[in-house]
Amino acid sequence: METLQGVLGAHPFFNDMPTQHIETVTGCVSNVRFKAGDAIFREGEEADHFYLIRDGKVALRIHSERRGPLTILTLSAGDILGWSWLFPPYRWKFSARAIEDTRAFAADGKCLREKAEHDHDLGYELLKRFAHVVEERLEATRLQLLNVYQDQ
Amino acid sequence: METATLENILEEHPLFRGMKEQHLRTLVESSTVVRFEPGDVIFEEGEPAHHSYLIRTGRVVLQLVSYRVEPFTLMTLEEGDIIGWSWLFPPYRWKFTAKALDVTRAISLDGRSVCAKCDEDHDLGYELMKRFAQIIENRVEALSVHLVAVEK
Repeated sequence: METLQGVLGAHPFFNDMPTQHIETVTGCVSNVRFKAGDAIFREGEEADHFYLIRDGKVALRIHSERRGPLTILTLSAGDILGWSWLFPPYRWKFSARAIEDTRAFAADGKCLREKAEHDHDLGYELLKRFAHVVEERLEATRLQLLNVYQDQ
Repeated sequence: METATLENILEEHPLFRGMKEQHLRTLVESSTVVRFEPGDVIFEEGEPAHHSYLIRTGRVVLQLVSYRVEPFTLMTLEEGDIIGWSWLFPPYRWKFTAKALDVTRAISLDGRSVCAKCDEDHDLGYELMKRFAQIIENRVEALSVHLVAVEK
């Protein structure tokens, strides 16, 4: 049987992370499942987790005054969801909904923050990775903007 | 004398607010004061990225360039803002074009030097990555709002 630590360690997010850090992170992680249609989190609510998607599909949405919910991104196996627990005011900026049955690892944000504050070697490793994930999201948004402008 | 001045300048920038003195002193070694004239291109989309710019005075526009459309101004950045972190992540190339609108004074941070210092000192690395991650996150939010506004 695979251990949680083994499965976590195989996720691209943890590539090249020292084993002792993965072990520490494992202490903040649990297995979760969502049914198609489940809300994983809603814009404005307190952000307390991040999710590593194992399989399934999740839509990330932002609310538009004019048009209601607008899907800005669809995430699937290997993708990371949620980092608002990292920064004040610790609230979701987007909503996430499972559009297929989805399995994920959920990491407790407060637990991670405390461990990162306590151990800056771990904190540096984690924040480097999160900065990268956020940057990838920025790039995806940039490409979407480019598409919109090119279509006009 | 010059070094002390630069340390004070760094300390006053929002990116470094509340940072430990020893970390500021380390970062001074990676910093230089730069100045751009109105119309100067600070960096160009697609070019290799080596620096971050911390704006002290003046205004800078961030543009999205595409071969099919005219450059599109996404946002205007000013005193206290930071531009550029593509040196942090592969492919280490600029994703936007930055152009000075006014006479702009900035601190230029050498990315390679900063990375080396962070790898050496994870306390510094953790502090700095937290700050960069948050700035990138703010930019994602701004761009998403922009996207919602322009999408038909």
